[in-house]
Amino acid sequence: MKKDGLKIEPKILKGTRDFTPMDMAKRNLVMDKIRRIFERFGYDAIETPIICPADTILGKYGDEGDRMTYNFDDAGGRRLALPFDLTVPFARFFAANYRELPLPFKRYQIQRVWRAEKPQKGRLREFYQCDIDIIGTKNLIAESEIAKVIVNVFKELGIDFTIKVNSRRLLNAVLRDLGVEDGKVVDVVRVIDKILKIGEEAVVQELSDLGVVDAKSILNLLKPEKDFAVTLEKFGKYDTGEVRDFFRNCEQLGIIEFLEFDPSLARGLDYYTGIIYEVVSKDCGFGTICAGGRYDDLCGLFCDEDFSGVGVAFGFERVMLLLEELGAFDEIQLNSKVLVTLFDEESISDSLSIYSDLIEAGINTEIYFEPVKLGKQIKYADKKRIPFVVIRGSEERDKDEVAIKFMTSGKQKVIPRSQLTTYLLNYYESKE
Amino acid sequence: MQKRGRLQEPSLGFLEGLGLQFKPNGSKLIDSCLNADVEILYVRNSDIPQYVKYGVADFGIVGENVLAEKKSRLKVVEKLGFGKCSLVIAVPKGSGVKDVRDLGEERIATSYLNILKSYLMKEGVSASIVEINGSVEICPFLNLSDAVCDITQTGRTLVENGLEVVAGVMDSEAVLVCSPFLNKEVVDCDFINLLKPKL
Repeated sequence: MKKDGLKIEPKILKGTRDFTPMDMAKRNLVMDKIRRIFERFGYDAIETPIICPADTILGKYGDEGDRMTYNFDDAGGRRLALPFDLTVPFARFFAANYRELPLPFKRYQIQRVWRAEKPQKGRLREFYQCDIDIIGTKNLIAESEIAKVIVNVFKELGIDFTIKVNSRRLLNAVLRDLGVEDGKVVDVVRVIDKILKIGEEAVVQELSDLGVVDAKSILNLLKPEKDFAVTLEKFGKYDTGEVRDFFRNCEQLGIIEFLEFDPSLARGLDYYTGIIYEVVSKDCGFGTICAGGRYDDLCGLFCDEDFSGVGVAFGFERVMLLLEELGAFDEIQLNSKVLVTLFDEESISDSLSIYSDLIEAGINTEIYFEPVKLGKQIKYADKKRIPFVVIRGSEERDKDEVAIKFMTSGKQKVIPRSQLTTYLLNYYESKE
Repeated sequence: MQKRGRLQEPSLGFLEGLGLQFKPNGSKLIDSCLNADVEILYVRNSDIPQYVKYGVADFGIVGENVLAEKKSRLKVVEKLGFGKCSLVIAVPKGSGVKDVRDLGEERIATSYLNILKSYLMKEGVSASIVEINGSVEICPFLNLSDAVCDITQTGRTLVENGLEVVAGVMDSEAVLVCSPFLNKEVVDCDFINLLKPKL
């Protein structure tokens, strides 16, 4: 307590946020669903430190990435950095531990990351990412599995989506064949990647600026056609085996309807080498909600061994915004299902025993702490969105009954005390 | 087909109608057809969807109510026109309940947990479900439930127990279902030939 009575302003940093119990109920609901799907496919969780030696984080994302990485000196004069994403900390973790880990190694990681950039809507300085990666195999079954995980996650979340797929290998081969110099392929890919953001014309202009001779015909070739087979046909003279095999696997996995082969998909980052994915929501305006692909030698920064991997990152915060918009949280509740009230001083022991029974039966229950007016206790239940309020007054005690007040309908029902636990356990909540 | 119960006799009748001949069934659980390469498995009514789903039986004769309760996605080859009944919700006479919507937060006893749940979901009614395996109609009398959801053919049992119907949940009859593993090309038996045009 400050003696002079001056209080500290309860502020937080711009670009960070507090999460209220209601926020957390929503976030946990979504995170649990995502986590359960990851685990169904045999991914195990890891976590990596928040504060890291700066040299394990900086220098991995290009100049712009470095500028957006939080880094500072600690009291001991060490240069520290906060993770910019989960990929680099994972590469470091893997390089440090691969000798002991099962190979191929599959992990999921759900953690906060930090970006020192100007905050915008849906883009904070501190936010969560959810990553899965498979490292240590080059087989396309891994790519296919990742696609299946994506499908299961978004189906579970009730989001309508398309997975756009391309092969970076194919894209590179096409660009080289069409006369783009080796040294410029990366730059050209970066420009093509902006096609949805800046439009076709602007892309053609930027490509011409890069010295690409026939930018228009490149874009025409890369444009996806009505269906997979027709699109693929356009690339008859190139090696499309990777794309074919991937789609064949996906057909076996029953997810082909969610895929779209888009030869213009580029994913800007240099480190992709094979199949790349980008998931877009069909409810427009939300952009990419998940993306990733095959990369070779991501760990090369940290060890001599050569490991190939494939992985995707789910844009958790965007998914949350999208679900909010879709009304997925309209009926969300906090943790308590039942409030046991205290009718008066005499009923306290009865209420305690009811409360204890419900807890032991595994029902999320709380007891009110003061035998105050019932109205005040019910108001508390209302504020916490507790659906059931249990009342045991003198009348109920005499008949060995309990009254249940239903907060959503306002109805009240009296049942034998002996049936209370089963009544609540077997309560079927219909959600229209 | 059903080992014992109201569907067994008409089920045999259906097979005989197709020209298949069987000895009168004793206590055997597997019975061979006398004039074709067909065997009958006599099992518990509620297990029939499982036997067919696992491909242990190629076909099953079972009530639609059982299929719905087991959330079965088996292909229905044909509706058989017998074993007709209804699954209804009934309440004690004079309870004042007029409609399923009046049953919100009440206790409903049933042997058909899944069907009842999806019906309540459809109707937007939340309730506590008391799962009982038989003689469900006695529950309101014992103050174990406020309503029942049960099978009825004539409605007599309900009336005898002082209950009246407030809602129909589903109508049911016996159907012929076939296994998802049934391979029409390699399995060659008379039964399939008989049914081929219907598959």
